[in-house]
Amino acid sequence: MTVPAINIEHLRKAYRTGTVAVQDLSMQVQPGDFFGFLGPNGAGKSTTIHCITGIATVTSGKIEIFGIDAVKNYREARRLIGLSPQEFNVDTFATVAQIVDWMGGYFGMNAAQRKSRVDMLIQRFDLTAHAKKQFRELSGGLKRRVILARALVHDPKLLILDEPTAGVDVELRLDLWRYLQELNREGKTILLTSHYLEEIERLCRTIAVIAGGKIVREGPKEEFFTVPGGLEKAYLEATGHRADHVAAGAA
Amino acid sequence: MSDVAVTGERRMGINWIGLGTIIRREWSRVWRVPIQAFLAPWISALMFIFIFGYVVGGNIRHIAGHSYVEFVLPGILMLNVVNAAFLQSTSQIYFQRFLRYIEETLVAPLSYVEMIIGSLAMTIVRSVVTSLGILVIGMLFGATHMYNIFEFLFWIISVSIVFGLLGIMIALWANNFEQLTMLNVFFIAPLSFVGGVFNTVAMLPPFMRWIAWANPFFYFINGLRHSMIGFNEAPEGLGVVVTLALIAVLGAATWRLFSIGYGLRE
Repeated sequence: MTVPAINIEHLRKAYRTGTVAVQDLSMQVQPGDFFGFLGPNGAGKSTTIHCITGIATVTSGKIEIFGIDAVKNYREARRLIGLSPQEFNVDTFATVAQIVDWMGGYFGMNAAQRKSRVDMLIQRFDLTAHAKKQFRELSGGLKRRVILARALVHDPKLLILDEPTAGVDVELRLDLWRYLQELNREGKTILLTSHYLEEIERLCRTIAVIAGGKIVREGPKEEFFTVPGGLEKAYLEATGHRADHVAAGAA
Repeated sequence: MSDVAVTGERRMGINWIGLGTIIRREWSRVWRVPIQAFLAPWISALMFIFIFGYVVGGNIRHIAGHSYVEFVLPGILMLNVVNAAFLQSTSQIYFQRFLRYIEETLVAPLSYVEMIIGSLAMTIVRSVVTSLGILVIGMLFGATHMYNIFEFLFWIISVSIVFGLLGIMIALWANNFEQLTMLNVFFIAPLSFVGGVFNTVAMLPPFMRWIAWANPFFYFINGLRHSMIGFNEAPEGLGVVVTLALIAVLGAATWRLFSIGYGLRE
């Protein structure tokens, strides 16, 4: 039996303020999958990701990464994950090269490994001319590329991308899509959240929709296209919104 | 796919490279503000030594065979070590929280102990560099002496750890810059000045001497003074016990805060 890349059972996350962001969430992401994680703002997508990656504590439930308990054996589990967060969480006065290099260092990569990966990623994301610039000097699109390079520096088996194309231009978005597909073909498991349904439709093989802290619909992408209106209608219905105009438009 | 992620470099269960990276990152951050980090305490020490030690001290009788400037230098040095350690640890943790790049270390395979030790290591480095500069300034006034170098290093490092740990705890608790400075304003500065920087306990009125004995800063300053000029006012070993006990208590408290994610994790 294949061990899932992500296995979440009955995850609950309540903040100190009493807000319950995730309640009884269970889902699996299979190894090698390109998994789309959809939901409206405040649905619990980022909180779920934060629980998986250790940015947030888990109130109750279980999270396993390739069979490793992400709470009890967090060090082993985190070695396998690369995260590109929704918000820029960097030392804005550090240079591009430093940001990527330091992340490799936190993951225990030696100097030679880091140099090779940092050079490759800086080149791959067209950051060579900006390598010595401070993060704060970069445009939004360039910043997004740095965050992606940082997520990939330790060559993780599981890549978690929280709205990676928010605020980037069309060219970069298309280039990024090609690169993500390439990484997925090489065997990386990718979990992607996005508000661009076209992005999910183009890239993902499995889709889960979260609303109110719970998974409200999950399945292979094809299942979301069995009715007129396709993914957009299925998504709006799953999240409890009216989808009349979508159906009318599709008719 | 390479197996970089699966291997990583870890010896004796410790992510040494991760630990070193925290220090590298902080060193780089400190060197963005060398005037604030090093030049300011050196200039402040120079002024204290010149005015209190040299100008005023020139009119004060010798203390236990030492000139006043020799007596006052260890106290001034300790004031700056305390400040350097506290500012380093509060700023590094608070800015990580403020700009959210604490998340870089939270998602990495670093243990709480490694994160704490990484922060303390840079705190010690900054304190040692600050101390070396002040020793050089002291030399210009003929005030720098070294009675016991190992004892000297013990006091610089252990006091840096005490205030490094205290700084980490404050930085985890603080939600704004005002709160960040509160401990320094209301606790560190007053207690350090009445801890024997400029005077011996014997100079105090008898009814006030208990303040010195109850003040941990007295033991830090007295210990450092003994390591530099051999002058000691406290019972043998008591200062070492007080300092090590503080490190144990503050270390355990800091570890506990990290382990529950206080101020770090959502």
